[in-house]
Amino acid sequence: MSRPAALRSCALGLALSAAVACGGGQTRTSLFSTTWEDDGGVSIGRVWQRLGSTPIPASADVVVGVAGNADKLLGAPIGGGSKWTFAHPLDARPVVAGSVVVGSGGREAFALDAKTGTVLWRRPTGGIPLVGAGDDGTVTVVTFRKAGGVGNVLLAVSHDGEVVRQIETDKPLGSPAVLGRLAFVPWADQYVSVIDLANGDEAARVTLRAQTSHAWTQGGSLWFGEAGYIRFDEHIRDASKGKATTLMVPLRELPGTPKLMPSGDHALPAVADATDRVHIYARPRGTDEGATLEDGRWYATYFRIAMGFANEKGGKLTWVHLHPADLLGGAAAAGGVVLCDEQGKVVELDAKTGGVVGEMDLGEPVKACVVNADAQPVNGTATDGKSLAAQLSEAVRANDPELVTAQKLLLRELATGQDELATKTLVDMASDPRTSPDLLDDAREALAKRRTGASVMEAALARHYDFLKDVLRPPPVGPIAEALGAMKEKGAAPLLASHLLDPADTEDDVKQAAAALAVVATPTELPVLRQFFGMYRASAPDDDIAMAVVSVGQALILLQDVGVVAAAAKDPTTVLYARDRLEALVEAIPPPAKK
Amino acid sequence: MRAGTRAAAAVCAASVAVLLTFAGGERCAQARPVPADVPRAIPLPPDTLARLRSGDLAAVKGALDAVRMSAHAGAPAVPVIAELLQRGLSPALTLAAIETVGDTESEAGSAAVAWYAQHRNVELRRAAIQTLSRTRGLAAVRALRGALSDPDANVRGLAATGLGNMKAKEAVGDLFAALDHKVAEAAASIGQLCAGNECDRLASKLGSVPFDVVTSGLDQVLFRPAADVSDDIKIKIVGRVRELGTGEANRFLRSVQGKWPKTWSQRVKQSIDQAVLATAASPGAGEPQ
Repeated sequence: MSRPAALRSCALGLALSAAVACGGGQTRTSLFSTTWEDDGGVSIGRVWQRLGSTPIPASADVVVGVAGNADKLLGAPIGGGSKWTFAHPLDARPVVAGSVVVGSGGREAFALDAKTGTVLWRRPTGGIPLVGAGDDGTVTVVTFRKAGGVGNVLLAVSHDGEVVRQIETDKPLGSPAVLGRLAFVPWADQYVSVIDLANGDEAARVTLRAQTSHAWTQGGSLWFGEAGYIRFDEHIRDASKGKATTLMVPLRELPGTPKLMPSGDHALPAVADATDRVHIYARPRGTDEGATLEDGRWYATYFRIAMGFANEKGGKLTWVHLHPADLLGGAAAAGGVVLCDEQGKVVELDAKTGGVVGEMDLGEPVKACVVNADAQPVNGTATDGKSLAAQLSEAVRANDPELVTAQKLLLRELATGQDELATKTLVDMASDPRTSPDLLDDAREALAKRRTGASVMEAALARHYDFLKDVLRPPPVGPIAEALGAMKEKGAAPLLASHLLDPADTEDDVKQAAAALAVVATPTELPVLRQFFGMYRASAPDDDIAMAVVSVGQALILLQDVGVVAAAAKDPTTVLYARDRLEALVEAIPPPAKK
Repeated sequence: MRAGTRAAAAVCAASVAVLLTFAGGERCAQARPVPADVPRAIPLPPDTLARLRSGDLAAVKGALDAVRMSAHAGAPAVPVIAELLQRGLSPALTLAAIETVGDTESEAGSAAVAWYAQHRNVELRRAAIQTLSRTRGLAAVRALRGALSDPDANVRGLAATGLGNMKAKEAVGDLFAALDHKVAEAAASIGQLCAGNECDRLASKLGSVPFDVVTSGLDQVLFRPAADVSDDIKIKIVGRVRELGTGEANRFLRSVQGKWPKTWSQRVKQSIDQAVLATAASPGAGEPQ
């Protein structure tokens, strides 16, 4: 152990001794024993019988921001109420538990009334950071990570500041919950031990078959989990057999591979990091059958993009919200999701549409943000009603390199829709010199596969490189031509033909335009087709243009202008790549047409 | 550096144009006898058209050379060369054909050569623009105006110069747009083509467009015949340059003063003389022109 760590441990020992001297219970060495044998759910079943009918009070609906130099807490009740501030150094992310906000820093832990910010209690800690906390309205149970990262301390403090229980262990304790003076303490990622705060005994233990480091109350139920949700109900006795009520967020591709919850057995830093910006939010709701996700929705954030998904296999994207600033924290609520950004702005988004139905302001930028939503629903009328296509369009067009990973995914979502706006967005992205190179190829690829929005594509084709008009990037001719050709859009033929002769277009663009014209050209395009054929059949600079010559030859044959093609097919000055193919085209013409 | 080179080229082109204007403007109305040391046009060999149509690449190349040698006298071959260009030739023969049409200065070749003002091969585009500047006609003007927007700066510059040489007055608006987009060659062409307020508009670019670029056009304006540009306009332009009060303004004015024909407007001459005096004390005014 390092010297500072040893000092901190010593200080904690002194602090804990003081706690005991003040009447707290003794540490039990038999707790969290790894020699424990599964009792087949008997003990946890007894706890369920004891508590099953106990009403679980709603916890505070509040947003807590870490501001300043991680030395100030800003509190704002969701749904109205006075904002509060509390100046105190912080060495870990504060936790909202029941009706209190628990924090640590400056060698002490403290609990505040979540509604008012009033201090309920303070206890010296020797400088070890807060891991998690639970509160049942009378007593707060807090876990701390020991210095050096090995072992934990559990402290139970009544709201009047009296230490009810303190436990030290070398086992990794997660974030606890309290109900009826029983502490539910997850540990070692698979157990939840129920500790009777009255005597310090381990009243029960349950082995869970899903990774678990958090216990909390929400929506009138007690939940355990980390990667998913396990409900404390009559099925908990069968948890070791994998038959507890378990709810998972559907798997699907998400940018940045966010987590539903961070590991509950580590202290979170006071200042938010990337994992806070890339996050999944969901709210489990107990039902007669077991549990489901509130509103049939779950949510994910990626820096300043928030997304709503349907609770179904594959997690269908239902909305996207582009936010002005990075989203640092949030919580799912009934009716939507509450998100807090680095500017201290809080936004409530509708579960079904992602529309903004409420906004709050913590008053200043924050370094981290904790949102707790329980009884207060998100409701109201959205102020920014937009279609999913419009939301996707806005999100993928945001000029922000940080968002590219999410934008690639959203671009694919956009491309699955038939909305003409999607086509327009893809055209705009593929035409805009500011579009990230990472997105440009995806946009062009998606555009080539479009089968709707011909008018938008034709409008784009009407543009050409024009130095004097400051149009310095040609439209995405290649993918548009591919799409229009597949759509057999004859109305686009004059525009496609005009691009055959534009030296600012890429070779591939010309090749694709010619290929489309082989399908959609009309007699009106004959002069341009003949011009292109004449200009390049003997001077094509590369295979792409030579292929374009072949496609134009095909178009000429279709338009009954066989002679020029037949002559070129025999002429040794025609570039070899084109000549062979033109010869094959001419040979394939039925004899009467050949004449 | 590249812009500077283009600007210098524009000034050079302008000077040549000035000399041509001066030589052919007020005093060269009468045809002069061709001096004995100037070679006469070589007649087009009788088998030229047959060789052009032979399909034999060497024969075609030889025929093109023969047409070039014949210059204006090669004009009868131009429709056949145009046909070849429209049917398609190798890049080398295409270039030779385009240049050959240019040497004939025959408008009959403009339409075919105009195709190549849009070719992907930039060398062919440049050659086409240079040829069109000589063959003239509506097709040439249309192609050169379009080429002002070409992706290649040299093509843009050649197109701007060509429009001036072709006296394409309808292109003055395009040339101003080109000048605003740093096509320096446009200034001299505007100077060749502008009328009334257009000339003053060119002068108003002093201060926002490099001095050498603007004066390459103003030089053109000042040495255009009085019937084309009034003395008032010229005096106004001299006044605008004088207002700059810089050494380079003085050097430009001295250059104009030195070239001003003795028989031309004394009013304008007086304004030039006064402007030279007024700017003589400007820093750098004493440096060589």
